[in-house]
Amino acid sequence: MAQLSLRGIKKRFRDTEVLHGIDLEIGDREFVVFVGPSGCGKSTLLRLIAGLDPISDGEFVLNGHRMNDVAPSRRGIAMVFQSYALYPHMDVYENMAFGARLMGLDKPEVERRIAEAAQMLRLEALLKRKPRELSGGQRQRVAIGRALVRKPDVFLLDEPLSNLDAALRSEVRLEIAKLHREIGGTMIYVTHDQVEAMTLADKIVVMNNGRIEQVGSPRELYETPANTFVATFIGSPRMALVDVTRDGDRLVLANGGSILVGNMSGPETLKLGLRPDTVQLVRGASAEGFAGRVEYTEYLGDNAYVYVRLADGKLLSARTAPNDLYAPDEAVTVTVAPGPAHYFSAEDGRRLTP
Amino acid sequence: MPQFRMTGRGLWITALIVPPLCFVALFIVYPIISAFAYAFFDWQGLKRLDFVGLENFHTVLFVEPYRSWTLNAFKNNIIVFFALMVLQNGLGFILAYALWRELPGARFHRIAVFLPVVLSTIIVAYLFKLFYHPLFGLVNISLKSIGLSEWAQPWLGQSGTALWSIIAAQAWHMVGFPTLVFLAGMQRIPSEILDAVRMETESEWVKITKIVWPLVAPSATIVFTLLFVGAFNWFELPYIMGGLDGSPFGSTDVLGLYFYRTAFGNVSSGQQDFGLGSALAVLIFIFIAAIAAVITTRLRAREIQL
Repeated sequence: MAQLSLRGIKKRFRDTEVLHGIDLEIGDREFVVFVGPSGCGKSTLLRLIAGLDPISDGEFVLNGHRMNDVAPSRRGIAMVFQSYALYPHMDVYENMAFGARLMGLDKPEVERRIAEAAQMLRLEALLKRKPRELSGGQRQRVAIGRALVRKPDVFLLDEPLSNLDAALRSEVRLEIAKLHREIGGTMIYVTHDQVEAMTLADKIVVMNNGRIEQVGSPRELYETPANTFVATFIGSPRMALVDVTRDGDRLVLANGGSILVGNMSGPETLKLGLRPDTVQLVRGASAEGFAGRVEYTEYLGDNAYVYVRLADGKLLSARTAPNDLYAPDEAVTVTVAPGPAHYFSAEDGRRLTP
Repeated sequence: MPQFRMTGRGLWITALIVPPLCFVALFIVYPIISAFAYAFFDWQGLKRLDFVGLENFHTVLFVEPYRSWTLNAFKNNIIVFFALMVLQNGLGFILAYALWRELPGARFHRIAVFLPVVLSTIIVAYLFKLFYHPLFGLVNISLKSIGLSEWAQPWLGQSGTALWSIIAAQAWHMVGFPTLVFLAGMQRIPSEILDAVRMETESEWVKITKIVWPLVAPSATIVFTLLFVGAFNWFELPYIMGGLDGSPFGSTDVLGLYFYRTAFGNVSSGQQDFGLGSALAVLIFIFIAAIAAVITTRLRAREIQL
């Protein structure tokens, strides 16, 4: 069982506040991913939960106990580090046994747990190796194994895939997802990669500048982003934001055409969010839609992305069939497929529900 | 047949290596070899007499009074080595750990600890000679002022305390060196490894013994080897603070002093014997080289790549 509550967590380094009051509830067996750009405070928040850095303000409660002043080793939390942080002078077995012994477990129990973890992570053949004799992926598994044998309530993973090459990354990602299903612990995972966040998480916490922008399932974040930051952060290629003004039942782009949206209320000027898959391109000029010129095309095999420069200078990407080739500088008209659209306030970027 | 061609790079390397190599050969290798040669001859002043084989070695090792002098000096060197191992290297490790953990005032202390190392040995020796002065030395005055008059004593004037007093001065002088080497070794440990340990224990003892100590093994190798060589070549401090005879009564005599006295004579006896002195020098050299080689290979084996 693990129930985490973060209440008004703040972190200051001298005079600089880097976390401005984080409130978050994390339930048992949840896979939570903290995602955000570099410097948004996600790793700092993870270190506060681990106890590696002191909390400046606010309260961290784990299973009903206040954890602010509890030593990291007594929180029932294990952490997998970005660089794996294996002890270089110990072999794989010793690396995993070290923490287990310090918990006061007897020898047979330590051996049993290591055997179990080694079997789960396919490390049996490597137990006598030193970390420097292992590949990146193997070190990664040892680091996870070291966390596993302690049987913690909560697993913290700090960008665990960032030191692996691309092919290995998706493989280990699947293994981590599988591991979470098998052991069923609460996992908190930090990454700046939104694909990792989308594929792994039950719940994504999007952070920016020391604040939480939105908390929700991958689907919620993709379909109903709370603001322009989340909207452009989740999804690849990113959502384009077009500044439009409302004119009756149409949205008008200055000097660049308009689209029909039907009746809506709300402010006169707003931002229209367009994802590549909701945009359709028509060759040449047309009365319905925004005018633009093709900038370049990315061919990906199963489909292609066409980048279009709109009249106001914004770049927009559209997903097209791979055989639909557009020449650079070709004039096109951008229309919007029927379906849910994203509207944001022109002032503060919040989501509008007209 | 492979041909050696002088490329621009090869010329550079040759030009840079040859002068220091000549220097080393002339001022280090040649004296060592000639000392070896001297040890097999009988000498009268600077005049070389007959070839005597191993006679000189036999004399310093087995003939009285040389035998007792050699053993006494050697015993004192061993005491110095182990005492400094604790007082200099042990304390250095603890100081380095405290500095590394950034305890309050670490910035100031980092400089303060290393400062004595920069002082000239002569200055340190005279300073501590004054500190230990029986009547107006800082040590005795301090003891008297806090009511411990019975502890006040002529530190350098009695056999029981003289060597230890000089060892204390040496430790104070050089403790900054192992501290610096250990600190550099600790700073090479990735911070995530330390975080990983903190996730598993809060015991400083476990952190030091199981993680930090094994990971600063390269620093330990350097510091141990240098201390070993330094302890058995020890000369300046006992020479200035105890005198060439290792007074009182040979209690501060070490191999360095003993060799100097034998080879070049001293004020009171005026006797000098290059043959016996060289034999001693050769024995000291072989002993240091052999043990240092063992220490180095042994300690190297437990070093790990970070």
